[in-house]
Amino acid sequence: MYHKTTGYRVFSYFNYAFMILAGLACFLPLLHLLAQSLSSKAAISGNMVSFWPVGFNVDAYIKTFNNSNFNGAMLTSITRTVLGTTISMFILICAGYALSKEFRGRNVLMWFFIFTMLFSGGLIPSYILITALGLKDTIWALVLPGAFGAYNLILLVNFFKTIPKALEEAAFIDGASFFVILSKIYLPLSLPGIATVSLFIMVGHWNSWFDGILYMSDASKYPLASFLQTVVVQSNMQNMAMSQSEVAAMSEQSIKAAQIFVSTLPIILVYPFLQRYFVKGIVLGAVKE
Amino acid sequence: MKKRTHLWKMVSMVMLSAILVAGCSKGESASETAPASVLKDGKYDPPFTITIAKQQDENAGKYINGETLNDNVLTRWGEQNLGIKIQTTLLGGDASQYNTKLRLALTGSEKLPDVLPVYDTMLVNDLIDSGQVKEITEDISTYMPDRIKDIYKQYPTTFNPVVREGKVYGMAIAPNLTEGEVMLIRQDWLDKLNLKAPTTIEEFEQVIAAFTNEDPDGNGKKDTYGFTFSGKDSYNTGWVSDPVMIFSAYTGKHLPRQWHNDNGKLTYGSVAPGNKEALAKLRDWYAKGYLNKELATQGAWDALSDFTEGKAGIIIGRPWLYDSVKDVEKNVDGAKISAYPTIQGVNGDKTYQSAQLNDGVFMFNKDFQNMEAFFLYYDKMYDAAFSTGEFKYGYAQGYDYDIVNDKVTFDPTKFNTPLEAVQGVGKMAFTKNTPSVDGPGQSYYDLANGVKADTGVLIQSASKDQTTQDGYRISYENRDVLLPNEFNGPPTPTMQNVWEQLTTMEQETFTKIIYGNEPLEAFDTFVKQWHEKGGDTVIEEVNEWYNQASETDVMTLMNLK
Repeated sequence: MYHKTTGYRVFSYFNYAFMILAGLACFLPLLHLLAQSLSSKAAISGNMVSFWPVGFNVDAYIKTFNNSNFNGAMLTSITRTVLGTTISMFILICAGYALSKEFRGRNVLMWFFIFTMLFSGGLIPSYILITALGLKDTIWALVLPGAFGAYNLILLVNFFKTIPKALEEAAFIDGASFFVILSKIYLPLSLPGIATVSLFIMVGHWNSWFDGILYMSDASKYPLASFLQTVVVQSNMQNMAMSQSEVAAMSEQSIKAAQIFVSTLPIILVYPFLQRYFVKGIVLGAVKE
Repeated sequence: MKKRTHLWKMVSMVMLSAILVAGCSKGESASETAPASVLKDGKYDPPFTITIAKQQDENAGKYINGETLNDNVLTRWGEQNLGIKIQTTLLGGDASQYNTKLRLALTGSEKLPDVLPVYDTMLVNDLIDSGQVKEITEDISTYMPDRIKDIYKQYPTTFNPVVREGKVYGMAIAPNLTEGEVMLIRQDWLDKLNLKAPTTIEEFEQVIAAFTNEDPDGNGKKDTYGFTFSGKDSYNTGWVSDPVMIFSAYTGKHLPRQWHNDNGKLTYGSVAPGNKEALAKLRDWYAKGYLNKELATQGAWDALSDFTEGKAGIIIGRPWLYDSVKDVEKNVDGAKISAYPTIQGVNGDKTYQSAQLNDGVFMFNKDFQNMEAFFLYYDKMYDAAFSTGEFKYGYAQGYDYDIVNDKVTFDPTKFNTPLEAVQGVGKMAFTKNTPSVDGPGQSYYDLANGVKADTGVLIQSASKDQTTQDGYRISYENRDVLLPNEFNGPPTPTMQNVWEQLTTMEQETFTKIIYGNEPLEAFDTFVKQWHEKGGDTVIEEVNEWYNQASETDVMTLMNLK
């Protein structure tokens, strides 16, 4: 397809070199974290750990998994992610399917949704709303507010729109209802889109910490990301502590590293299973015709 | 960071308007049925609940035995022995999140907790403005136990932020003068190079020069340097990796980033004369490689890793800093750390440091009717500090102390059920730090003078590493160098507009001068600009606040004289 000219070859080398660098930039921090989590406390506080553990031990992992707060937070996070993704996808698929059809008032409806994407009420009204609904201190405060995202809706609607109308018409003639068409034709055909949007939502739920801290008044109900936020953020000038020796008992860097590492693992593990869908990309549907 | 502050400012502005709207609609619903609890033999019957707000710091978040925030050894103790149940209904993570949550609670969307620890002077001010916090002048006078009154009598300035028009709306959280800073030096390096610990700026220079150039670790490489500190947040960090000693050597009591009462007038330390000489010194040292190369990007905690690695020879911080850097004795064979007092100033005086008297203030919901119950509980919390009553050794056996073979121990690894670290039980109720009356380290001073370790506090102090004990003793002996910030009020109107720019300008100028990117004369330009760009107005406003704060004699009103 391409002639192997000198220019092309130089470009190739450059391209490889650049991609390797970019890949390393993403991978090395994780490796550093892993090395820290397996190192001794003294070596870490002396800044002696780079990419290989110094004073190898797995204490940090034992301590992490013996910490009931950590385990509870992990469970909360998993529940939240599964529940949140399921609810979100249900709403988005229903809404997206309907909005991919032509009907009266469709544009007005769509405009309503997009409006929420551009303008939000902000922190205070959301907080008052959640409190007034009595959702505070429940998992619903984490799952429901973000259940519907206009951006994801647009992605799905556009995906659904690319599925040939003829397929639907044929099914109609065979006597299928709207719901049968949705489940038997649209869903299987739009798996790449659904997988991608699911991943967006999943990662979003897994990583968000602010709502956990905002809506939970008991640390044992924190999801993992909120828990890590309180553990990992170092004491600084702003919240300068008075305490005498108690400060010195700050949790060790190796445990922090282990906790961060363990907390990123599940989402990394999910990725390979979804990856095959978006190697082809979210725009795969565009060439289906 | 800057962006964040802006965000919070906007949040707070919106919030104030929201309070105006929401405050009207929801103010009335708070008349709950008063608890019919009666105080009988020091216990309430039936038990009732005090709700609290809490900023969950890293240490306060650790519980053992599956205990939680609202169900732990201390809350259970309170319920069983005092009939008071402490329940956290508002929990925040770090300082800014906690403040946001308090502001959100102010919108009236939920009931404000009974006891509110507040750590931000602006928020203190807004809470008073909102009319939702209780005036406690009378309550302090009536209900505060005498031994606690004696503590508050020592620190009248801690009431400044919470006094408005002669009325008192709060009180400092467990006031107590913090410990001072000491110099931690690699003793083995001093010994190897036949040097003495420095006491003047010239000697200090000689030592750090030797630490840099004469290969104190003996590996044949020039990979060590003298003095590590942090210049990221300010040149007066106040606790660890602090360079303020060098500034104080030339400016005396005028410390950078701090207000000092100069014959009745508050002045700002960063623009005082003497800073220029200090900067000249640091600039010279930086050029010669005596300081850490990345001092401007390293926070207080980052700056100590060079010391722990065995690269740097001197670090300054509170005595417990030894705990954080003692790993160097593991990392490097033969390493040994000793604690010394900070050096003298150029005029022969001591060098000064900033100090804290309290960490935030308590405020109370205006509907909270049980101040005597709060004081009952608060007084019990002080039992551990006074080594009296039920808490004479600590709060809970097996948590923060244990008795093994009839001996009280504070070493968690030697507990009957060994722990990794002691539990900060004192932090489990409404204070972020365990109350203390030990000042900058009196118990250590007493121990060094041969007092027998027979109370909880003394035994605990005696259980620390020798270097830490030395540090506290030095801190106590030099407690006259500790200067609390004289301005502890809310940001003044001009401050709210220009303070961030002024401190940024200050930080940049200082750093650029030390790095050699700007001539030394940049300091004069900075001082001139600082005054012109709002500094003068700020000085005026700060002094106005100070005069007002010291105007009414609230101490007499509270019966604290």
